[in-house]
Amino acid sequence: MGKSATTSDVHALFHSLRSAYAATANHLKIIDLYIVFAIVTAVIQVAYMAIVGSFPFNSFLSGVLSCVGTAVLAVSLRIQVNKDNKEFKDLPPERAFADFVLCNLVLHLVIMNFLG
Amino acid sequence: MAAPKFAFLLLNLISILPLLVSSFSVDRPTDRRILVLLDDLSLKSSHSLFFSSLKSRGFDLDFKLADDPAIAVKRYGQYMYDGLILLSPSTERFGGSLDVEGVLDFVDSGHDLIVAADANASDLIRNIAAECGVDFDEDPSAVVVDHSSYAVSETEGDHTLIAADDFIQSDVILGNKKIEAPVLFKGIGHSLNPANSMVLKALSASPSSYSTNPSSKLSSQPPSLYGTAISLVSVVQARNAARIMISGSLDMFSNRLFRAGVQKSGSLNKYEKSGNEQFITELSKWIFHERGHLKAVNLRHNKVGESEEPSMYRINDDLEFSVEIFEWSGSSWVPHVSKDVQVQFYMMSPYVLKTLSTNGKGLYHTSFKVPDVYGVFQFKVEYQKLGYTSLSLSKQIPVRPFKHNEYERFITTAFPYYGASFSMGNYVDVSTKYMIELQMAGFFIFSGVYLYNK
Repeated sequence: MGKSATTSDVHALFHSLRSAYAATANHLKIIDLYIVFAIVTAVIQVAYMAIVGSFPFNSFLSGVLSCVGTAVLAVSLRIQVNKDNKEFKDLPPERAFADFVLCNLVLHLVIMNFLG
Repeated sequence: MAAPKFAFLLLNLISILPLLVSSFSVDRPTDRRILVLLDDLSLKSSHSLFFSSLKSRGFDLDFKLADDPAIAVKRYGQYMYDGLILLSPSTERFGGSLDVEGVLDFVDSGHDLIVAADANASDLIRNIAAECGVDFDEDPSAVVVDHSSYAVSETEGDHTLIAADDFIQSDVILGNKKIEAPVLFKGIGHSLNPANSMVLKALSASPSSYSTNPSSKLSSQPPSLYGTAISLVSVVQARNAARIMISGSLDMFSNRLFRAGVQKSGSLNKYEKSGNEQFITELSKWIFHERGHLKAVNLRHNKVGESEEPSMYRINDDLEFSVEIFEWSGSSWVPHVSKDVQVQFYMMSPYVLKTLSTNGKGLYHTSFKVPDVYGVFQFKVEYQKLGYTSLSLSKQIPVRPFKHNEYERFITTAFPYYGASFSMGNYVDVSTKYMIELQMAGFFIFSGVYLYNK
């Protein structure tokens, strides 16, 4: 009796989360997809390092940090672009995107130098 | 007026020249001048075969009575002799300035020594032998007796004259020709300390021998020296190449035993001439450095493809190593041929140990790769072979790690990381780094101007 109640609760929870998420705007979902892609790439690199060893450690760090860095920048872009955020109500989304691109350029300049 | 004086001076100067070339030198290791101390001048005639064989090989023998007050091996800090033969077993004190200390200093400075003891050897001779690593039987009247390896003789029946044929197995020490006849020995035996690695038994007694006083009743305790632990003749090679021979019998060197025929009890072989002369002669050749003296020259190393010795190597370099080893043949240096000379590339422990291959003319060479460890290494050659002088060479060389620009440009194991950062939007190429910086600056200014210009 208790078990079926909890499993049905879990199902109900998942269901409500999925339906709420489906309601978000499309451009936010694209950014989310990009974030997931970046994190997965970082995890793949860490797994590769665990297998092969950390020989060019600088390359490993550079690769992982480029993924994590763009993920972080994408998160801040998503925050700034989300219309439900009262804090960034007056910020034009093009400005937010331009910031995102510039920060990425700086990040990748550093990454490129450190990649070796 | 001045001419005769000048001639006189010139004559004096010229007469000193022969003295300068007749001493032991590193280039000619064979000894030249030998001091022989005797108990009794009749030994000169009773042991004349031994002395004449030495003289015929070019040695200068200086005979003196052991208690002659004019004995001096050292004058003004320099040794006057290259070798010392002590055929004076019953001398209690040497004359002149020589004593146990003096004899040991003589040996410590790299010179050679032959000591013969006998029954009733004095404490002086026993002390000298003990300092060289050889312990004679403490009972002063004990001699070596062997009831199954004695020499069959018509006159002596107490089995103190033994026929020994247990020689050390070494062509360097005893010569190429096998000694067929046993060696006749009559005297005292000694034992060697098993912890001493420099002293060897050149002639051992048979397992049935023991050391006792033949004229007294056998004591209830077993003899302290028996069996193959008894050494009849021992040799010592010190680390500075000084060679010492210690024999328990003075009669072994005598003409009588050189010429005597020998038949070992229990064997049917009767030899016309004992092996004494061959044994003593070959052993004295080894003692006085006519054989078995090595020198190593020209220890060189270089990178494969170059000919100069670098001052430093890098890890994973290929290098070549070579050394030349020569052996003194008695009159000249000949190449030493051996299959087991090894070189170590050593830093606290050998990272590389390789056997050197030879070209037959004394050149030993090999090549190997520097290990993947950096630090200060040494090339070490440690060669210790039975009967030869030991070689201990080393040369220090530092090894550095890769410089940052000595790695491959694109490291294969890092390709996933390159790929990951490219997929994240990194399309910058190294060579255009500076262009991109400019472009970045331009982009920043442009976007700032454009976006704030609302």
